[in-house]
Amino acid sequence: MRYLRLIGHFARASFQEEAAYQANFYISLLHSLLNLATGVLGVMVLFGQIETVNGWNLTATLALLGVYLTVSALRSLFLGPSLEALAGMDGEVWTGQFDFTLLRPVDTQFLASLRKWHPFALFDLALGLSVVVVAVTQLSQTLTVAHLIAFLVALGAGVTILYSILLAFAGLVFWSPGVLFTWVFDSIFQMARYPIGLYPGWLRLVLIWVVPVGVITTVPAQALTGAASVGVLAGSAGLAAALLIGASALFRFGLRRYASASS
Amino acid sequence: MNHRGGWALIQATWASWLQHRGFFFILAFGWMIPPLIYLLVWSTAASGKTIGGLNQGEFVAYYLVLILVNQLTFSQTSWTVGDLIRYGQMNRLLVRPLSPVYDALSSEVAGKVVYMLFDVPIVAALALILHPELHLTPRNVLAFVPALGLAWMLRFFWGYWIALLAFWAARADALLAVQDALIFLLAGQVAPIQLLPDGLRNAALALPFRYMVGFPVEVVTGQLDTFGLWTGFAFQVGWLVIALALSASVWRVGLKRYSAVGG
Amino acid sequence: MTQPHIIVRKLAKTYRVPTREPGLAASLKNLVRRTYDDVQAVRDVSFTVEAGEMVGLIGPNGAGKTTMLKLLCGLLHPTSGEARVAGFIPWERRHAYLRRISMVLGNKSQMLWDIPPMDSFRVLSEIYGVPPAEFGRTRDELIELLDMGELLTKPVRNLSLGERMKCELVAGLLHRPAVWFLDEPPLGLDVSMQLRLRRFLAEYNRRNGVTVILTSHYMADVMALCPRVILIHHGQMLYDGELGGLAQRLAPFKLLRMTLQGENGNSIGVLPSNVEIIEHGPNRLTLRAARSDAPAVTAHLLQTLPVADLAVEDPPIEAVIDQIYREGGV
Repeated sequence: MRYLRLIGHFARASFQEEAAYQANFYISLLHSLLNLATGVLGVMVLFGQIETVNGWNLTATLALLGVYLTVSALRSLFLGPSLEALAGMDGEVWTGQFDFTLLRPVDTQFLASLRKWHPFALFDLALGLSVVVVAVTQLSQTLTVAHLIAFLVALGAGVTILYSILLAFAGLVFWSPGVLFTWVFDSIFQMARYPIGLYPGWLRLVLIWVVPVGVITTVPAQALTGAASVGVLAGSAGLAAALLIGASALFRFGLRRYASASS
Repeated sequence: MNHRGGWALIQATWASWLQHRGFFFILAFGWMIPPLIYLLVWSTAASGKTIGGLNQGEFVAYYLVLILVNQLTFSQTSWTVGDLIRYGQMNRLLVRPLSPVYDALSSEVAGKVVYMLFDVPIVAALALILHPELHLTPRNVLAFVPALGLAWMLRFFWGYWIALLAFWAARADALLAVQDALIFLLAGQVAPIQLLPDGLRNAALALPFRYMVGFPVEVVTGQLDTFGLWTGFAFQVGWLVIALALSASVWRVGLKRYSAVGG
Repeated sequence: MTQPHIIVRKLAKTYRVPTREPGLAASLKNLVRRTYDDVQAVRDVSFTVEAGEMVGLIGPNGAGKTTMLKLLCGLLHPTSGEARVAGFIPWERRHAYLRRISMVLGNKSQMLWDIPPMDSFRVLSEIYGVPPAEFGRTRDELIELLDMGELLTKPVRNLSLGERMKCELVAGLLHRPAVWFLDEPPLGLDVSMQLRLRRFLAEYNRRNGVTVILTSHYMADVMALCPRVILIHHGQMLYDGELGGLAQRLAPFKLLRMTLQGENGNSIGVLPSNVEIIEHGPNRLTLRAARSDAPAVTAHLLQTLPVADLAVEDPPIEAVIDQIYREGGV
């Protein structure tokens, strides 16, 4: 209960920090719109030349783009900023500011994951969801309640997988501060803009089993069109749970190592 | 012009960047991924057919060359110069008996060397896996060199004058973000220019962005006839002159304002 | 008889630092086989501190002071030995323990940069679970003690260094810690700020009985605030006691400052062998003699030299410390 209240305070403090610079707001808006425009135009240029690729047409791919934008927005909203503040380029572990975080009588993983919010990402969230809605209305199949539930389950699993990967990468910073893990992940995550069905077979396997970014966006998009079987949904949920447990363990292990190994 | 000092600075920067190769390799990896994604998407779309006159192998070749050209013309100076001005570190450079352009040039050169160390082997490996089709003619190869050189200069000075707007606007980096989006759409990343829908294609041919990245790639992959080649060069040189003029005048005016305001 | 607030027994911390020779061949070798050096940051240190004491932890750079502090805060695990602070084992990092302590890091800030200090204080009070009413009282008390009224509405980045220091001090005390660790706090660059902040620390300690461990390079701060100092050098505790006693024990000599008169003022003849000339200027002479020799030497000098004025002094504490740092030992 207290932790929920803390989240409220963190969000409020972050909003105040962001609002301190007026320019931030407009620039954030600009970035969001640019992001949307380039994404949508990219997909439209592709499907301007060809009807379907490997079973994916314009609306289905747009739906997937919408999922990508939505998940990205959720990441930018709180997971990303908090973990970035810990493990990123100027992160606390790098500058030594992490000691303060360790001194707080609050669970460190909680702080590391939820401490910094980027409220302007709510706009991106709205944009992303709009794209999904627009795409869904254009789909040939109608959206049933079952599809919707499947979509929400898949989306939840996707966000959990994303969090777990980010957490694991952030945890790696305890072993090797200064390496840009999140930058590497960001690059690979770009691949989730397109259905993994468009990639060659070997890459598809990598994007499911090695760095499961493919599962994050493709499964929810498939759920919207009813193409996601129960097996696939269960698989992604299971994967999400396993990754979450593993990543948390890695993070905590890294914390202990930080305390014993550093000076 | 202090050439000796400038050359010494370039050598020293290059040596120190080589020390941190790992860091820069990771950056290069990140920059390589977006063109790679489009390579995969287009080559999948074009398997077994041609799109816009290009077959699968030609798409692969186009994008592999694009990866290298994009890296070679990329100007990180735009970002660092803006930061220098914003954080008041320009003073350090202005005090030296060396034009600040050398500082920019030395990071550019150092960067190119280090990034190419990474990119070239990777592109070579990808070529082995993905089977590009590249039809080189003497004319195209000869034209490629000046096209590439002019492209780098254009991208450098265009980014430079925008970054110098940091003398006035605290957040000139927003403009750079817009520029990056425009380069993405109109410089041949999303798709080779000829595949863009009419409105966008005309914009791409007129605006400077294509001449920063796409044009040299089109030259060497044989997508241009003689007329296209010469008009392309004309546009390229024309935009370069404009960029140089803008850089020089914005620098002069901005410097006056910078010293007047107190640095 | 209550237990001491801080008990440290044979605490030691060694950590391994990877070593690397310069050059390309060495970096290739390094990829295959890592070599390490063992650095003994803290060696076999033992001491106790009673509740409410203000103790200064002094020593040269790299002596192990910050490591010692981090061990007591629970940020580091020791290699061996034990410690108890306020009844807890620090490195178990129980939340109940973390709520009783506070740390101020000299060169790092725990304030949020772009917003007024009050907002940071509020978040911190929530993190530490301070009830709102108590937060209000503590905050008002601290603001009054530090005279911070107008600072509260300005973003932290617009405050001066001294003002930011005040904010750090308040931030550290909002949850009324029982133990307060201050690592190299820059207590202000101008004299008036220094005096004010020192007075605040002393006053707060007196009023609230918080145990304070302070490390500092500024001898003036340590001298003004800490009746007791612990000297650490190369990870070992060299001295634990009053600052004045440090000079006495570690530098058992006296300085004899003399003003000489007359034309013979410049020729001092042959001096006893057990004195050392520190300074010899026109009509001025400063000698150093062992404490035990001082009375005899003084008497001898008064007889043999045209002394107009004589003062027998303890060496300045900075000189003592400096000598210890340089010579590395007692």
